[in-house]
Amino acid sequence: MTAELPPGLALQKVDERIMTLNVGPQHPGSGHMRIIVQIDGDYIVACDPDPGYVHRGEEKMAEYRNYITNIPHLERPVIHDSCNILYPYVLGVEELLGIEVPERAKYIRVIASELNRCIYTMYWLAIYGIFLGHSTMFMWPAGDRELLIDLMEKMSGARVTHAHFVPGGVRNDLPPNFEDVCLRQVNYFEKRIKEYAAIFYDNPILIARTEKTGILSRQDAIRLGTTGSVLRASGVDYDLRKKEPYDVYDELDFQTNVLKEGDSYARSKVPWLDMMESCRIIRHALEKMPKSGSVRVKLKPNPKGGDDSVYKRVESGRGSLGCYIVSDKKPEPYRVKLSVGSFRNLIALPYLLKGEKLGNMPSVYWSLNYWPVEADR
Amino acid sequence: MGTATGIIKALNSGIKHIAIKRFTLRYPEEKLKFVGDGYQFDPSTGVGIAGLKGRHMLFHDHCTGCQLCSIACEGVAEAIAMVKVPDQQTQNKKSIMPQIDYGKCVFCGLCVDACPFYALYMTNDYELSSFSKEGLIYTPAQLAVKPYVTQDSEIKITDRGATHG
Ligand code: SF4
Ligand code: SF4
Repeated sequence: MTAELPPGLALQKVDERIMTLNVGPQHPGSGHMRIIVQIDGDYIVACDPDPGYVHRGEEKMAEYRNYITNIPHLERPVIHDSCNILYPYVLGVEELLGIEVPERAKYIRVIASELNRCIYTMYWLAIYGIFLGHSTMFMWPAGDRELLIDLMEKMSGARVTHAHFVPGGVRNDLPPNFEDVCLRQVNYFEKRIKEYAAIFYDNPILIARTEKTGILSRQDAIRLGTTGSVLRASGVDYDLRKKEPYDVYDELDFQTNVLKEGDSYARSKVPWLDMMESCRIIRHALEKMPKSGSVRVKLKPNPKGGDDSVYKRVESGRGSLGCYIVSDKKPEPYRVKLSVGSFRNLIALPYLLKGEKLGNMPSVYWSLNYWPVEADR
Repeated sequence: MGTATGIIKALNSGIKHIAIKRFTLRYPEEKLKFVGDGYQFDPSTGVGIAGLKGRHMLFHDHCTGCQLCSIACEGVAEAIAMVKVPDQQTQNKKSIMPQIDYGKCVFCGLCVDACPFYALYMTNDYELSSFSKEGLIYTPAQLAVKPYVTQDSEIKITDRGATHG
């Protein structure tokens, strides 16, 4: 058949053995994104991730709201990690407006951000469990997450989307008796996540399914620009909390977790080890925090920045999260650009899936610590 | 570690959980207890008071009709509309007060931060579901009512695990 094709379109030659499969965008596992895989029998020959189904225009919206009213919508892309996604924005606005944050507020922000990292990672782990058909590993993290959600709700008044960080500190001081409750629940939480080792991380069935699948070498991890747990699972010791400490991270005692293997198993283990480190950070921060003092500096209504731009980044649950803000002497920012870890890790997916079995796709895909809504902004 | 020992260990870890207490909160019968009476804001210090960000509460004897809450919400959700109220308050010359549409509100509490006259707080009431869209719009008179809430369940940590009780 030689019918004329409209300009710009071309027919693709189809190999008889190759089948194209769309995973998503309505697939419960893929989240709001589509992965186009081409399979030959049971093996993947090519993979094309197709994000963008939940683009919300957060960056454009930020140009029409002032520095304070930007807060509620900017945390929407990752509602489980809403403190961490606001963190670079708030740090950037503080630098633009020249605000010095009180010491106690810095500690509260670190505690809130670590709690949020754990809340996000537990949710991610629950989904990882159900991806591998391990329904206990869905129930336990989903339940134990409640301990920390309860703490965040006491601290900020909302279970998710806390809108707690503002330029100049945090919205409110800790409720009375919070330190004791926090210490008790975080200690119990740490005990609980250690129990996941026997049922999940040391489980031979899980190891057989995830070990040596989707190996990302150290060179590739750096070359592709991956970040966060994906990078650390490939043997690169890079954690922004250590490399570019913000707020009070340089005064706290913690270490980064680095594994060498770079396979799905290592990528699923690093966030779990990070959670234990987060528990240590929270305990240490609670101990070192000034017991009283101001938590928020009063701003003028509708604060304006100068003719300036600023780039700040923090370590979120999914890796480095950057925020670039340009101001032009108006109460609204001229431009807000978010650089998110999810999107940068997704680039590795086509490389990892090539030659893998189709059955390994879910474990490799979710081990990249990918959050579709964040990637689309 | 051999495969068999690993599987037995994993099973054992699950079986041990039969003896552990249930963590589930039986929601409509039990309700979580929150700290304080809801999120409040002190304009003199510029710092909020911790509490749940639930349904708002409006104090008619403080509200001056200055519209600052509605201006704050314009950038967030446009949930607040200023409406005429029948009751005469000396401090409220124009007799207008906020009316909140909970179909739009995202419970960020920025309107509470914006009110300079201690007139708008948030409460522990989060059960706002309604059968119609109109039912979600709360007039100033409805907002003035202090909600009746019974919430007493807290997370308890015992040797046999955590429970809500
Ligand atoms: S809580 Fe936020 S969204 Fe709701 S009325 Fe107040 S400012 Fe608007
Ligand atoms: S509630 Fe507060 S901010 Fe809103 S109109 Fe009344 S006094 Fe003004």
